[in-house]
Amino acid sequence: MGKIRVEGLKKSYGTNQVLKGIDIEVKQGEVLCVIGPSGSGKSTFLRCINLLEDITDGRVVVDDKDISDKGVDINKVRENIGMVFQHFNLFPHFNVLKNIMFAPVELGKQSAEQARTTALRLLERVGLSDKADAYPHQLSGGQKQRVAIARALAMNPDIMLFDEPTSALDPEMVGEVLGVMKDLAREGMTMMVVTHEMGFAREVADRVVFMDGGYIVEEGPPEEVFGRPKHERTISFLEKVL
Amino acid sequence: MKALRTIWLTMALLLLTITGAAGWTGAATAAPASGKTYQIGTDITFAPFEYQDASGKYVGIDMDLMEAIAKDQNFKYEIKPLGFNAAVQALESNQVDGVIAGMSITDERKLKFDFSESYYDSGVSMAVRSGNEDIKSYGDLRGKKVAVKTGTQGYTVAESLAGEYGFTIVPFDDSAQMYDDVKGGNSVATFDDKPVLAYGQNQGNGLQVVEEIEMVKGGSYGFAVSKGQNAELLKMFNDGLTNVRNSGEFDRILANYLGENAKTPATQSTWGLIQESMPPLLKGLGNTLLYTIVSLLFASILGLVFGFMKVSHNRVLRGIATVYVDIFRGIPLIVLAFFIYFGIPQALGFTMPLFIAAILTLSLNAGAYVTEIIRGGIQSIDRGQMEAARSLGLPYRRAMIKIILPQAVRIMIPSFINQMVITLKDTSILSVIGLVELTQSGKIIIARTFESFTIWSVVMVMYLIVIIALTKLAERMERKLRHG
Repeated sequence: MGKIRVEGLKKSYGTNQVLKGIDIEVKQGEVLCVIGPSGSGKSTFLRCINLLEDITDGRVVVDDKDISDKGVDINKVRENIGMVFQHFNLFPHFNVLKNIMFAPVELGKQSAEQARTTALRLLERVGLSDKADAYPHQLSGGQKQRVAIARALAMNPDIMLFDEPTSALDPEMVGEVLGVMKDLAREGMTMMVVTHEMGFAREVADRVVFMDGGYIVEEGPPEEVFGRPKHERTISFLEKVL
Repeated sequence: MKALRTIWLTMALLLLTITGAAGWTGAATAAPASGKTYQIGTDITFAPFEYQDASGKYVGIDMDLMEAIAKDQNFKYEIKPLGFNAAVQALESNQVDGVIAGMSITDERKLKFDFSESYYDSGVSMAVRSGNEDIKSYGDLRGKKVAVKTGTQGYTVAESLAGEYGFTIVPFDDSAQMYDDVKGGNSVATFDDKPVLAYGQNQGNGLQVVEEIEMVKGGSYGFAVSKGQNAELLKMFNDGLTNVRNSGEFDRILANYLGENAKTPATQSTWGLIQESMPPLLKGLGNTLLYTIVSLLFASILGLVFGFMKVSHNRVLRGIATVYVDIFRGIPLIVLAFFIYFGIPQALGFTMPLFIAAILTLSLNAGAYVTEIIRGGIQSIDRGQMEAARSLGLPYRRAMIKIILPQAVRIMIPSFINQMVITLKDTSILSVIGLVELTQSGKIIIARTFESFTIWSVVMVMYLIVIIALTKLAERMERKLRHG
């Protein structure tokens, strides 16, 4: 039984169809990397998993629950799906600690005391214990993204979605973020990662999906997709990026 | 966040202070007697019939006559100094029970009003700037401009002569402005009721009656009520008038203002004038601030409601908010004030208190702008903020309140203070419906003293001080918020 099951997923903006029918299953603890040229629909696909984009057609099933069903409390579902954005989206009016503590306290998951302890533990885990009192604008890009990961983890989710988490970073900061993600993967987190970091995908992913033009063109273990790509479009894409 | 709290606290304090310091209206109440209190509309600047004396009390022939009649007939009344046109419109829309404002009894007015017996026979004369000896006949007006007050006999006379003698009419709403126009040389002459002109000349208002031209017999002044209404009040006025005439009191009143021994003003230093004017002007300023703050409070509520509707996903809500903004941003404030204060009560047949009309006008207008400020503020926050909050499981409303609004408010503050400055200045427009705020307070003093330059200078400085203080506050806020 898959942790996440996507069936016939379609998404249109007006007449522009961005996703033309996606079917995929992600298993518990699996790390799935989604690669592909820009405009291929991979970010939209990821954002459909927690319904940041509403679905035009098809189903997204998480833990056997069809979250695209109107009767589902999407807020509850989202509590269990952490998301990390390309541009971090930290809350600029909160300091680092408050950014992490905010959701669990606000949603009554933890007392302020507990949330504080959790937040400090998470900060230690992403290597930013000394930044608890800093405000987002005082942090580097890499630090911001690590705080964003801690913020998502504070809700103690089963699933983590990463939407190009290193694309807005200076090259020397990519490593620190990928490091945190590798740790997460090792600990058995179910992860969907949209990325341009082929090295990360090759090393960490259990499975790689190549998307183009709103379809999944090719999928498989990283050594197969990177080592022996079958599809012509995959080959030409990999030639450009590797 | 601390800075924000400081603003609100300051505003709340300011509001409290002003509420304590200033009343809602500048009305004078007569000695209490049994029965209802009649609302009597009058002009603000029609010396010697009605004007405010240095102590802020409304005096003049009409005022003294009203007082004598009320005393004789034992009824209560309240004077509403609205300005002539506003008073007439207020009577038409039953906002007041009667009008005494040196109003001539005409056939046209009789269609709408019931008049008392005439209490004064007047006529229209022409006046020019003191020392101007060039204008001795109507013929001398050719190609020139003549200042007249709209809705007066003087206007009717000027209108009837304008074609034949080839002059242009410049209409004004109050006498002081009309005189200033002549004194300033824009217009060469004015037509007004003879006693008014004579009194003004006595008081040194800078004009002189052209004695070479015969007075156009005209106006008999009467007290008016709405047609078919307040018959009881009208009867009391007539009975009282008879008694006051018979007792000789009316003659004493007339002599007091028009006779040989009529008081002429003591010449006053500019500084003395300013000192004397400060209390009414400060009270006016208090009202200006009070109306500004109360209106902005309501405007903020309107702005929040419609602002959120504007960013909503619901097309109907968005549509409603857009219509609201389009309508109230599109109507000139003065037209809106007239519509709310005169139009709506006339159509629906009820009495609208002045302060409600004033606050409604300002709130609806400013609300439209605040809606846009709030919409702009919310939409200026990066979409990612809402997405991040929602992705953590926060419902839309809580994400809005905890994440979007606190950030948006920082962006809105400068625009909001800017709107505060605009609304503060806009309160002056409400002087047209008789609101005694700073501008109207200035007008009233000028009606008595004819000291335009001094009083308008003081009024300007008062506006400037308040507005510059607000602007500086806005700049400080902005700097503080920008540097976190």
